Amino acid sequence: MASKSLERVCYVEDDEDIQRIVRMSLERVGKMTVEIVGDPMVAVDAIIGFKPDLVMLDWMMPGMDGPTLFRKLKENSETKDLPVVFITAKATPTELAELRSLGALGAISKPFAPKDLPDQLRALWNTQSQ
Amino acid sequence: MFADRVAHLYRQSILGILLTLLVGVIVTAELWGPGFRQVTIMWWLVTIAIAAARFALYRAYQQRTDHDEGKWLRWMAIGALAAGVNWGIAGAVFFPTHSDDQQVFLAFMLAGLISGGVAVFSSVWWTYALYAAGIMLPLMYVLAAFGNRLFSELAVLVPIFYVANVAVAYRLDKVFSSGFRAKEDYARIAHEQDAMNAQIEEQLQELLNARREVEASGRKLTLFAERAPIAVLEFDANATVLEMNPASENLFGFTIGELIGRSGLQMLFPVDEFGVNDSWWRDFVSGVKPATLDRLRCVRRDGLEIMCSFTFTPLVNDEGDVISVIAQGRDITQELEAERLKKEFTSTLSHELRTPLTSIIGSLQLINSGVMGDLDKDVEDLTVIAERNGQRLLDLINDLLDIEKIESGKFELYPEIVSLDSLVRDTLVLNKSFADRFNVRFSLAEQLPPVSVEADPKRLVQVVTNLLSNSAKFSPEGGTVDVTLELAGDHVRVGVHDRGPGIPEAFRSRIFSRFAQADSTATRQKGGTGLGLAICKRLIELMHGNIGFEDRPGGGTTFFFELPAVTEDARAKVSHQGAV
Repeated sequence: MASKSLERVCYVEDDEDIQRIVRMSLERVGKMTVEIVGDPMVAVDAIIGFKPDLVMLDWMMPGMDGPTLFRKLKENSETKDLPVVFITAKATPTELAELRSLGALGAISKPFAPKDLPDQLRALWNTQSQ
Repeated sequence: MFADRVAHLYRQSILGILLTLLVGVIVTAELWGPGFRQVTIMWWLVTIAIAAARFALYRAYQQRTDHDEGKWLRWMAIGALAAGVNWGIAGAVFFPTHSDDQQVFLAFMLAGLISGGVAVFSSVWWTYALYAAGIMLPLMYVLAAFGNRLFSELAVLVPIFYVANVAVAYRLDKVFSSGFRAKEDYARIAHEQDAMNAQIEEQLQELLNARREVEASGRKLTLFAERAPIAVLEFDANATVLEMNPASENLFGFTIGELIGRSGLQMLFPVDEFGVNDSWWRDFVSGVKPATLDRLRCVRRDGLEIMCSFTFTPLVNDEGDVISVIAQGRDITQELEAERLKKEFTSTLSHELRTPLTSIIGSLQLINSGVMGDLDKDVEDLTVIAERNGQRLLDLINDLLDIEKIESGKFELYPEIVSLDSLVRDTLVLNKSFADRFNVRFSLAEQLPPVSVEADPKRLVQVVTNLLSNSAKFSPEGGTVDVTLELAGDHVRVGVHDRGPGIPEAFRSRIFSRFAQADSTATRQKGGTGLGLAICKRLIELMHGNIGFEDRPGGGTTFFFELPAVTEDARAKVSHQGAV
């Protein structure tokens, strides 16, 4: 994994505007292939179908919140090894530390800067190889 | 007592003087005859002179200013001796020269005078002894020298008579002494009794005052309980309600009559594993310590559950047994609801405002970054303005949320051991683009002392960022902001030094207050919410440090904060724990 670069990202987010901004940021600035999932309830199947290098999860979503979705991904044999990054405006360091202990790669705080987002993701991606 | 005896002696001396004069007149009349007139007159004059002297002594004693009783007794003794000798000489002179009848008269008279002296002088027996000796010795001499057997026998009887009288006087002296002693004792006892009475009176008054105070404070307490807006109930050790105030009636909806004598556990508190139940009450009563339950579920008469805050205080007697329990409490249901709503509002503000702002700022940032292609110059100016102001709005929301959390005491810090030198260096890099906007350079020494602090890194970055952005905003264009990090004893100090216009005098006292800005035009020109320094101050204080500013020599201002430095030991310990 160390040598592989970050190319395919799946983002689960309910807000359509943010979906578009993230898509533009990652595609135009980061030159990545992006799949956006708007409904967390169908996210696990969508992720399995897309086969991303990394999954980004919004924290607060209707129906199922990010941490719950994350736990579901960890329970599924096909998705349990996928690196997960949270995009959050409200997580406390304690909550983040707990998610990291469960295998989350990290968190990017909201609001994020779209022009820096690809770099931030790649920086987190590279921490895996160590 | 001695003084009493002398005083008695002087009082009696008046009687002695009067008797002397009376007997003297009788003697003069009896002995008045041819051939003796001159001697009789002479004697009579001496008698009067002695009586006058004794009277003068009596007056002097009455008007005395000293209390030298020994002296006055000595003078009285001299007077007694003079009086006695005067009678003795009368006997010695007149006895041999007069007829038998007159001799009998003289002998009888002198014997009478010796006996009568007892009444006058016996309060100090030896004054009587002197007086009687003054009479007896000349008489005895004359009788013995007369040459007559009868008189010789009388001369032998006189001293016996004398001794008997002195013995009587001595006994009387003792009786006087004990009488005066008794009088003195009585006076002392009476005085002590008076003092004791006064003391008892005083104590009684104190008791009365204390009782009045107790009654007054009892009335006050009753009034407090009656008028108090909080519920006050008294339970016995078995949780039976003994008393309650009107506020308790309002709180629970029960009248006093409905609750008194009933079990508080059954009537007021629901069967609850965590609330006031039988086992809690047993533990509380045996623990004999006040207990406060901040969130206690209670049941009203109508079955409605309310949330209360209650304090239970046991009252204990001398044996350590709980005699009653005072409970004070109030309904906090609405307070909790208000708190919940406030929390919800804060959370809504946090999420619902930030989400659209994320889209606004994100969109503008993407446009302004140039990845969407080049823009017309005027359009680009406008999108830059929009992005900057969007950011300002976001900063304001973040600052307001921070202040709200800090001031409501709900702000949580996540402290860890932080390498301060690295943190300062990284924060400078993060803020470089901001400094570029104002054409200002941040300058930091190449070598910083390696030092760690225990702090919340995210919040510490926030403080450093705030100080840096303030100094960049107020530096002259093309200027340099120097950043320093120094160790001073067990503290480490981070300084941000600018060459700006300095802090106006009138603004200095409120620079760390909320919405503090020296000049409102600065807000428009330079941005900022006016909350930054207020938040910095509270954050640094929460991290056990202090923050301040001072004039920079040569012009400008230095803002600084100080935090306790973490020792190498603590650092090693933490990294060791981390390794495990």
